[in-house]
Amino acid sequence: MGEATPVVEMRNIKKNFGAVQALCGVDLVLHHNEVLGLVGDNAAGKSVLMKVLSGAHIPDGGEILIEGKKAHITNPGDARRMGIEMVYQDLALANNLDVAANVFMGREAVSTQLGPISIMDKHHMEQETQRLIDRLKIDISSVRLRVERLSGGQRQSVAIARATAFNSKVTIMDEPTAALSVAAIDKVLDLVRELKAQGCSIIIISHRLEDIYQVSDRMMVLRHGRKVLECPVIGDLDEFRERVVAYIIGARNDFAEKGVN
Amino acid sequence: MHARRAKMSFIKNAKEIFQQNIREFGMYIALLVIMATFTIATKGVFISSRNISNLMNQTGYIVVLAVGMTLVIIIRHIDLSVGYLSGFLGAVAAIAMVSWHLPVYATIPLIMGFGVLAGLVTGFLVAQMKIPAFVATLAGWLGYRGALQLVTMRTGTIIIPNAAFNAICNGFIPDIPGIRILPGVHKSTLILGVLAIILFIINAIRDRRKMQTNKFKVLPINFFILKLVFVSALVGGISWVFAGYRGLPWTAVVLLIVILFYNFIMSQTVLGRHIYAVGGNPEAAELSGISVKKITYVVFCSMGMLAALSGMMFASRLQSATTTAGTLFELDAIAAAFVGGVSMSGGIGKVVGSFIGAFIMMSLTSGMNLMGIDISLQYIVRASVLAAAVVFDVAIRNREK
Repeated sequence: MGEATPVVEMRNIKKNFGAVQALCGVDLVLHHNEVLGLVGDNAAGKSVLMKVLSGAHIPDGGEILIEGKKAHITNPGDARRMGIEMVYQDLALANNLDVAANVFMGREAVSTQLGPISIMDKHHMEQETQRLIDRLKIDISSVRLRVERLSGGQRQSVAIARATAFNSKVTIMDEPTAALSVAAIDKVLDLVRELKAQGCSIIIISHRLEDIYQVSDRMMVLRHGRKVLECPVIGDLDEFRERVVAYIIGARNDFAEKGVN
Repeated sequence: MHARRAKMSFIKNAKEIFQQNIREFGMYIALLVIMATFTIATKGVFISSRNISNLMNQTGYIVVLAVGMTLVIIIRHIDLSVGYLSGFLGAVAAIAMVSWHLPVYATIPLIMGFGVLAGLVTGFLVAQMKIPAFVATLAGWLGYRGALQLVTMRTGTIIIPNAAFNAICNGFIPDIPGIRILPGVHKSTLILGVLAIILFIINAIRDRRKMQTNKFKVLPINFFILKLVFVSALVGGISWVFAGYRGLPWTAVVLLIVILFYNFIMSQTVLGRHIYAVGGNPEAAELSGISVKKITYVVFCSMGMLAALSGMMFASRLQSATTTAGTLFELDAIAAAFVGGVSMSGGIGKVVGSFIGAFIMMSLTSGMNLMGIDISLQYIVRASVLAAAVVFDVAIRNREK
């Protein structure tokens, strides 16, 4: 394993909600320019693990290293400052605002500061957004369209573009293809490939194993808050699916005993 | 052939522009129709300089509340307390001048400071204690009503003897003496009108150039000119009407400042963008690093400050503080906001829209009063207009989706 320092390393992460153990000591490694698939049944702990990384949950135990340095992440702002961006399953876009306003939400560009009043630099934000959607080859006719007028796939693309807009180191996507049409799913997966081609490191949570299979380099399976499988994505889809499903539903549970190989 | 094609594209453009701005156009058209109807029905009395000046003075304190209410409704809350709060603070203003012998220039900022404090209390209940705004401000409604009766209990109505204060909602801007041309016309009002038109045109052209250099879509040139002509005619017409009586009322000056300031904040600043973001999706705003709590505080404090201003304007209008000042103002302000296109579901609405909404509602009252229509029917008519405006809104929004 003489590789470069991983961009993210989570060690022995624990998280309880009252009496429920959501995570019982999970390790996660994400390398530079890698797409990691994260799968598991409902309540397996995928989203909780990612919320720990993105600062929405504070873990009860374990440590997080970002590029080899120990990180203290206590809120989403901390995570964002360290270059960790999360695309939430429910999108986290404001439908009443246009595309540019959503991309820059919470980080508006300021042209003039008048005491406590900051005047926005709208032109800059619109131009940057246009550049961003051009670069990521996202199909939206105008950055001035209100998000409520976009299709589900376009919205997902805006949410992803927003997460990658500010030179983030890691982009976490929680079910980016849920509730999308087949054509829209393909577009989102194209976007993930495009991001990887441009050097991003990505963690993707999905129920759809074929999506993970298509875009991920490596994957890990969680079950009842434990890691039950971690392996590179290889082989043909059917064989891959059969093997992974066995771990997801708990029919096989031999990974921990075998150790990492 | 060429001319015909040009005409076709004109109609197509017109249709597109109309459809994109149907909500705003609809509101302006409604206002024009209402004003035209009353002008005809009252044989011109409605549009007379004197009536419009009065209308402005009567609408002022509701407009100010409606502007604040717009922000409150945008972030998905409501404020029922502002009517009695404005009545209470108007009475405190009267007491400050009559009993504490404070000058006007000290009274106005002091009372507005009290308004901000009242907003802090509401903000604390709503943002900090997570009490639904409806309940928190209902408590405020009761409390400020009691406070108003308490401070006026001993004296009853407090007469305000201060001429400068009473001028806010009764007075007019001074004229330039010694000009002989156009006798009986208020010259400084006309000059201000012309200045406003020139500023507007310069600004619009500069904006258009800037947009074009950045390759953004702009209005086709014929529509751009049409818009300039229309707005110039409107501003010119309004100044002419005011100039025909005693000039621009001070109320109009106050409203202009409030509306321009709030419009600027909402459309050009980070704060305004954050207010819309919180209204559109509070969870998303919070995840984006916007403090929903802070925005809630800011919006309720601004509402409190405007309630104070409104209370002083009403006291100035009546030249006294009464024991029932502010009764039901909050509902007039809420109605104005909804007629003006603010959406209960949050994130949608404009300050200028609420101003037009307030003006529509007050025009109805004024016009029907002039026509001698019974108050019972007046309520029913206003109810229909409110309901129709919201039905229109919902229909447009459903179609857009």
